[in-house]
Amino acid sequence: MFKRMRRWFRAVGGGRRLDDQMDQELAFHLDLEAAKLERQGLTPEAARTEARRAFGGVERVREEVRDTRRTSWVDTILRNVRYARRSLGRNPGYTAAVIATLGLGIGANTTMFSVIDGVLLKPLPYANGDRLLLVQHTASQPNFGVSIKELYEYRKQLDSFEGLVEFHQMSFDLIKRGDPNRVAAGVVSANFFDVLRVKPILGRTFQAADAAHGAPAVLLLSNAYWKARFGGDPTIVGQVFEMNDRPHTVVGVLPPVPIYPQESDVYMPTSACPFRARGEEHLAENWKTFSNLRVFGRLKPGVTIEAASAHIATVAAQFTRDHTEAYRDARGFGAAALGLLGELTRNARPMLLILLGATALVLLLACANVASLTLARTLNRDRELALRTALGAGRRQLVGQLLTESVMLGLGGGIAGLLLAAMTQGALGTFIGRFTARAADIGIDGRVLAFTAVVSILTGLAFGALPALVTRPGPASLLRQSGASAGGPRQSRLLRGLVVAQVAVSVVLLAAAGLFMTSLYRLARVDAGYHAERVLAAEIFGNFTRYKEPKDYLRLYKPLLERLSQMPGVQSAAVGTVVPLGQQGQPFLNAFEIQGRSAIGRDRPAADVNVVSTRYFETLGIPIVGGRDFRETDTTESAPVVVINQSMARYWDGADPVGSRVSFDKGEHWFTVVGVTGTVRQYALERDGVAQLFIALNQSPFPAGASVLLRTTVDPVSMTEVVRDTVHSLDPDMPVEHVQTLEALRSNYLAPTRLTAMLLGLFAGVALVVTLAGLTGVLGMSVSQRTQEFGVRMALGAQPGSILTGVVRQGLVMVAIGLAIGGAASMFVGRFFTSYLYETQATDPATFGVLAIALLAAAAVACAGPARRATQVDPMLALRSE
Amino acid sequence: MTASRLDLLQGTLDLLILRTLSLGPMHGWGISQRIQQVSEDVLQVNQGSLYPALHRLEEAGWIDSEWGRSPDHNRQAKFYRLTKTGERRLAEETRQWELMTTAVARILASEA
Repeated sequence: MFKRMRRWFRAVGGGRRLDDQMDQELAFHLDLEAAKLERQGLTPEAARTEARRAFGGVERVREEVRDTRRTSWVDTILRNVRYARRSLGRNPGYTAAVIATLGLGIGANTTMFSVIDGVLLKPLPYANGDRLLLVQHTASQPNFGVSIKELYEYRKQLDSFEGLVEFHQMSFDLIKRGDPNRVAAGVVSANFFDVLRVKPILGRTFQAADAAHGAPAVLLLSNAYWKARFGGDPTIVGQVFEMNDRPHTVVGVLPPVPIYPQESDVYMPTSACPFRARGEEHLAENWKTFSNLRVFGRLKPGVTIEAASAHIATVAAQFTRDHTEAYRDARGFGAAALGLLGELTRNARPMLLILLGATALVLLLACANVASLTLARTLNRDRELALRTALGAGRRQLVGQLLTESVMLGLGGGIAGLLLAAMTQGALGTFIGRFTARAADIGIDGRVLAFTAVVSILTGLAFGALPALVTRPGPASLLRQSGASAGGPRQSRLLRGLVVAQVAVSVVLLAAAGLFMTSLYRLARVDAGYHAERVLAAEIFGNFTRYKEPKDYLRLYKPLLERLSQMPGVQSAAVGTVVPLGQQGQPFLNAFEIQGRSAIGRDRPAADVNVVSTRYFETLGIPIVGGRDFRETDTTESAPVVVINQSMARYWDGADPVGSRVSFDKGEHWFTVVGVTGTVRQYALERDGVAQLFIALNQSPFPAGASVLLRTTVDPVSMTEVVRDTVHSLDPDMPVEHVQTLEALRSNYLAPTRLTAMLLGLFAGVALVVTLAGLTGVLGMSVSQRTQEFGVRMALGAQPGSILTGVVRQGLVMVAIGLAIGGAASMFVGRFFTSYLYETQATDPATFGVLAIALLAAAAVACAGPARRATQVDPMLALRSE
Repeated sequence: MTASRLDLLQGTLDLLILRTLSLGPMHGWGISQRIQQVSEDVLQVNQGSLYPALHRLEEAGWIDSEWGRSPDHNRQAKFYRLTKTGERRLAEETRQWELMTTAVARILASEA
């Protein structure tokens, strides 16, 4: 092997040096021969001449040795490459078409691979990231995350982990010299960063003492926040900020690696979060207190994931046995350990795999297309190849030559593809960011380059193999005069087969894109139960330190709504803790009971509890379908009332809920239902809205930070500053966040689906154009081969019309066969992604109908060009040409 | 150049080179002298065709070469040496050669 390499380098790099060595060797020989002759009695001159004569011409020998050397495989490749470069250079049109087609195919695959590699394949950016596990609770009901007490129990009982750490995120105001900034604060265990194996770039991470009860509050800054907010200030460590009415000291800055499970601006130990600290005080009386922790840990060496998972499940089962009351509402409660990487990418995985499938099809199609282009070109090179055969080139050499050309084209396509991938990377990263926190790990690196190189070479071999295999030029074809007669029935059948294959692949892509678009269209038009147009929402959450009581919020919201509703352009204004498709993400379900109705034998009913002001339903356009809306007269002085939605009204089994009473605290406090509203698809457009219950703002039993909602008669975005100014005139320190129109929220919600559909549509569009171009090309070739036939038929009186339809029919038959194959294939493939579609089956008749008609129409247009050429054949010329 | 000197049969040069090198490393001139001597001057190696053959055998990996000092002449010379594959090749070619010569000899004998 080493010898081989050395010889390779010598042959490639040292041609000159080899020649010198050979000269030296030959000179040595001649000298020895002359010396021998001299010993036999010749004069030195005569000996020298005789030696040269016996040798038989130094120059000829030298040339012969050089020839032997050139036949090494390296030289063969180099010669093939040189030849291919010349040959491709003579056909710039063909070369450009192939490189562009392959560039699209390889580019799409490179991009998808870089995404999949970054998101799904690459390990987490921590030492031994595959040993990090997430403790996942499952239950019939949401809000059954890990509680503080459960975490402590896990820590006590699980010896399979090096460390179990917690994470939850909160929004707080970080105040620096009176300038409030709402930050996402990650609240973590003291050893959180040790378990992740993340080292700070400045200062230190947390220590056990930081998490002790009553310890001075400390902060770690994320790299991004440190750079964006403090310009990477190296003196940040030791600076003191105010947060939650306490001084917080910065102790360190994190490196620029993604911190999972969720990026935060700042991190604080558990003792610094006032809510978490308060939960700590109730551990004894409430087993499930503060159950929104995300817990993960690092496995001890030698422990398998399965063993750890089984261990956790056993401990969780024991919880439900020992604390029946705490787990009463959680049917099917269980726990398992899941790989952190798998959990972080769960949402992105199916979409990415669907898109990768689509790009693989695009590449396959590009290969088929380029193969037919190349085959056609090879047939036209019949004479050239035959000439080379006649000159002594073996079949192996010819095939090698053709494959060298196609691999070079494949590599050219690979370079074009890399450029394409580099250009589209940014946009795609944003797209992927909507699915997973791992988008930051996407990039073109060595692995992606290696992938592209391999794909390029395989592509070249794939599309080159077919033409190379069917080409059997014998010297005989030299004798044929006409170049046009090249390509026997075998080759034309192959060309037609390639067109059919391309159509079939395009149909699969078009069907996938079509199904996603149909699904998107239906989802976008779904009646979500409210009117989104001309409504602005703005989050106005006070920090809990200043807004402790419900009346604190009333003091802000009451005058705010009064002022806003009098502004010109405002139709109605309201506040509510819930905004359709807003930031909340998931419902906050509370179990309730209905007075006088037994809950035995069924799930305890639960509803999403919200606090809204009067005119909330009017502002959002939610209809009142029974009873009444809230009134200004519903106050702390009057009877507590609630409005429920139709989804919640189902629990009354057809009876009228208005007038009955519900309780959330086992009958301590009762609320009278006064009205029923339509159901809003509050959290997800795909699913029916959850059961919801609304409490009047005036009667709210807890301080409820809410969003203000404005229905306007003008462009709602133009009211943004008005809202901000009005809020600040009442409370200058109140942050106004997430100012967005409801339409924008709805559009944002659809964005991932829309982007998926658009990407699939783009791939399908590329596929269609490439396929139709291939169809035109193959048909055109067939027409030029049949020139004589058309000439004869015209001469015999055939109508141009019948020739035209004949050619078009020939094309459409190929398309129809491809359509049938592709249609069947896509119905099969479609079954794998129907679960990602909204009310659309893999066999959706509308989608397939439109697809078939559009494809046939487009194909007819593609056939028109060659067909018209067939009718323009001059009979005389055609007959004379032979 | 007497009539008793034979031109080499096509393909036998390779066999002779391999056989000669099986005795030990040697330079080109040495190989040609050796073949001539051992065949008692019957076989005349065309010196011009020796070098292309040596290079061909080296490409094929049957022999290997190295520059070294020639002790007899005290100057740098290129020495050729049989490789492991070369040894196998020599055995194979020898067997074939014997097969052929026996066959030819038999035919000639029956003819007479």
